[in-house]
Amino acid sequence: MKKTDIIKQTKLTAMIIVVFIIGTLSYNLSAQNKKPNQNKMPIYGHWKNFTSNDGLPSNKTYCVRIDGKRVLVGTNKGLAVYENGKWKTYTIKDGLAHNGVLAIDVSKLTGDVWLGTMGGLTRWSAGKFENFTQLNSGMPNNLIYAVICDAKDVWVATGGGAGKYDTYTKQWEIFTQQNAPMHEPWTYGVCEGDGKIFIAAWGGGVVEYTKKTKKFRDYTDPDGKMEIDLFPDDGLVHDITTGTSWANGYLWVATYFGLSRYDGVHWKGYFDHDSGLTSNFINYVRAVGSIAYLCTDKGLSTTDGKNWVNYTTNNSSKNGKATIIVGTKKTELAMIPSISHNFVLGVDVSNHTIWLATSRGVSRGELLK
Amino acid sequence: MIRNYRLLVMFLLLLLFQHTNVKGQEKKLMYGKTPNKIFPYNNFQKAYKYFFLESVPFLGAGREKLPPKGLKEVRIGFLGPLEGSDLVSLGKQMLNGANLAIKEANDKGGYKGIPFKLMVHNDVGLWGAAANEVVKMNDEKDWVWLGSINDVVSHVALRATLKMEMMMVNTGDPDPTFTETNIPWLIRVISDDRQSSYALASYIYEKMGHKRIAVIRTNSRYGRVGIMEYMNVAVRLGHPVMIEERFDDGDTDFKMQLDNIKRIAPDGILIWGNAKESALILNQIRKLGMIQPVYASDRVVSPEFIKIAGKNAEGIVSTSPYNPNANNSKLKSFQKNYFKNFGEAPDVFAAHAYDGMSLIIKAIQKVGLNRVLIRDILMDLKTFQGYQGVTGKIILDQSGNDIGDIFMSKLENGKFKFSPVPKF
Repeated sequence: MKKTDIIKQTKLTAMIIVVFIIGTLSYNLSAQNKKPNQNKMPIYGHWKNFTSNDGLPSNKTYCVRIDGKRVLVGTNKGLAVYENGKWKTYTIKDGLAHNGVLAIDVSKLTGDVWLGTMGGLTRWSAGKFENFTQLNSGMPNNLIYAVICDAKDVWVATGGGAGKYDTYTKQWEIFTQQNAPMHEPWTYGVCEGDGKIFIAAWGGGVVEYTKKTKKFRDYTDPDGKMEIDLFPDDGLVHDITTGTSWANGYLWVATYFGLSRYDGVHWKGYFDHDSGLTSNFINYVRAVGSIAYLCTDKGLSTTDGKNWVNYTTNNSSKNGKATIIVGTKKTELAMIPSISHNFVLGVDVSNHTIWLATSRGVSRGELLK
Repeated sequence: MIRNYRLLVMFLLLLLFQHTNVKGQEKKLMYGKTPNKIFPYNNFQKAYKYFFLESVPFLGAGREKLPPKGLKEVRIGFLGPLEGSDLVSLGKQMLNGANLAIKEANDKGGYKGIPFKLMVHNDVGLWGAAANEVVKMNDEKDWVWLGSINDVVSHVALRATLKMEMMMVNTGDPDPTFTETNIPWLIRVISDDRQSSYALASYIYEKMGHKRIAVIRTNSRYGRVGIMEYMNVAVRLGHPVMIEERFDDGDTDFKMQLDNIKRIAPDGILIWGNAKESALILNQIRKLGMIQPVYASDRVVSPEFIKIAGKNAEGIVSTSPYNPNANNSKLKSFQKNYFKNFGEAPDVFAAHAYDGMSLIIKAIQKVGLNRVLIRDILMDLKTFQGYQGVTGKIILDQSGNDIGDIFMSKLENGKFKFSPVPKF
């Protein structure tokens, strides 16, 4: 080897080492920058649980919504309302479409309460119940999995398509595979955000509807296969979606296979084996501010996308814990009592309070820090 | 110099992978009896996450709930196409099979002396309608239910059954995606079109040596989803389907589609549809002078197909979820009793409904009247794993899907003959 070659090779090797050192330093710096801030994650405690012994019509609860000073809970035996420390129940005898209340939302515009039931949509307004069914109003299906109020419009997700009810014109608009990019019209979740409606379409991923242009587009799992997720973070983790929630620039998508988050450009996937997610089986998602609240079959997971706080109970006792995961560091906080049951189906949060609908009653927690 | 550039590339790759927090699953196990060489992307890329490798448990409450007192009957729901559907003849056989199992159980004393009662609901195949029927089953306090055939109905009903927390036993929907939903309230006691597709692809490409196959299939969801796995396998084996023609259920003239297929001169033709349309297509294939071997989805294994297709049916090859000629004493007894009760031979839907309902009855007799416990025992993959039914041995995978043996069926001398499927 010539001397000049040796010099060239030495220079190149030195360059490689420099690049490696710079790369390593930049990675460490960026990792530090991304280091999660534990203070950002709210932690709830002082749990108080309510069951049929406390006045709930049933322990089987499906959903919960905080409405000012009262709390509305959907159960399989009617709507339970908690106000001034007491529970009151409303059933079909009072005018509900069905006793199975699966979804609740409250109109910011009118204060009306909209209830998605197993037998139609019920509006509770000025103390009166009004029912909307397939037969009397042209709604897509009587079994309503999700309902949201968006100004004057009310959106529902059903197994027969998504529906939008204009409370001014009193007209329904139905969205199915005929007029929207859905593989099938089976919809199970709906949310609003950023001028758009995001529909969780079973087998069809997420269908996005831009309100201004009235145009649809869809997001699906890029690998197109039910039995695998080929690449991480390439899109939705699965096409079978169960819920959507948008807040703070992020769309969160629940599935029975894991969690997805979309920032408008990039997708991020979360599974129980690679993140703090307590279970891949997610019944419901609700995002408030920078936090996503995930109702799973193994407890409540909360996350800002990096840090996690998971609430679980020992189902055979009243005790449980909050598991706080910051980066690779995991700490546990004993909760006595803890949440009522690990099978969580619904959640809502207000300033300092969180309410959960579980398989065994509802739980109320207070913000600790 | 080249060596140094390689070194540089290696370091850069090293840096690149430092930044990616890839934590794929370490172990890979195959799902759905899928051979390695036809598993999705398997020849190119290991998947980040594999689903359906473990059963999804139901972790909700309800096991502690005591049975009600003073019951006069034990209600079991039934959802099938009984009116207003193209599948009525299949639905009636399914209902007969379920009723026979109930009758036999009641003759032996029902559940602790309380008779079982089938609560019959019609599915009309309309989007969403099945959800309302499941709500009715919940309202009438059924403990568990059986149905249906139409995949649209079954899918919609499945999501509803999860909310109602009422176990669904399916004995007629072959849609592979139906059990690929992770909903822990379902078992399917009949093989699906994934298994049929694998069997047909193995037979057509590997046993018969064909390379150029044309497909004509119904435009319904049954056709769209049913043929999906076959098409995928054909590509992975290096023989993508030459042409895919479609028709609507109820069509009687298929000349346009068959002219297109004729121009391509395929090695063989695969029909995916209901018995009636499949028979009409076969007749028109022969009328056009096309002599290629014809293969079909398993709905051709029916008297209706043989009747309409006549001599043209001879030699057609399909699959069957069970062997109705098997030397199985349970099957022979079932066939005899079925004929005695209903005056006709049972078809595939009757036989599977009988097996499905028998499992439901046994589950109730073992755990009592509690929906969650009924679910638990039907899905535990232990208690009834390998159950010897009239349709053969029932083997469920982690998704609750029946992956027991299926059979090739070939029409010879006016009768279907059944044989084991060729392995890849």
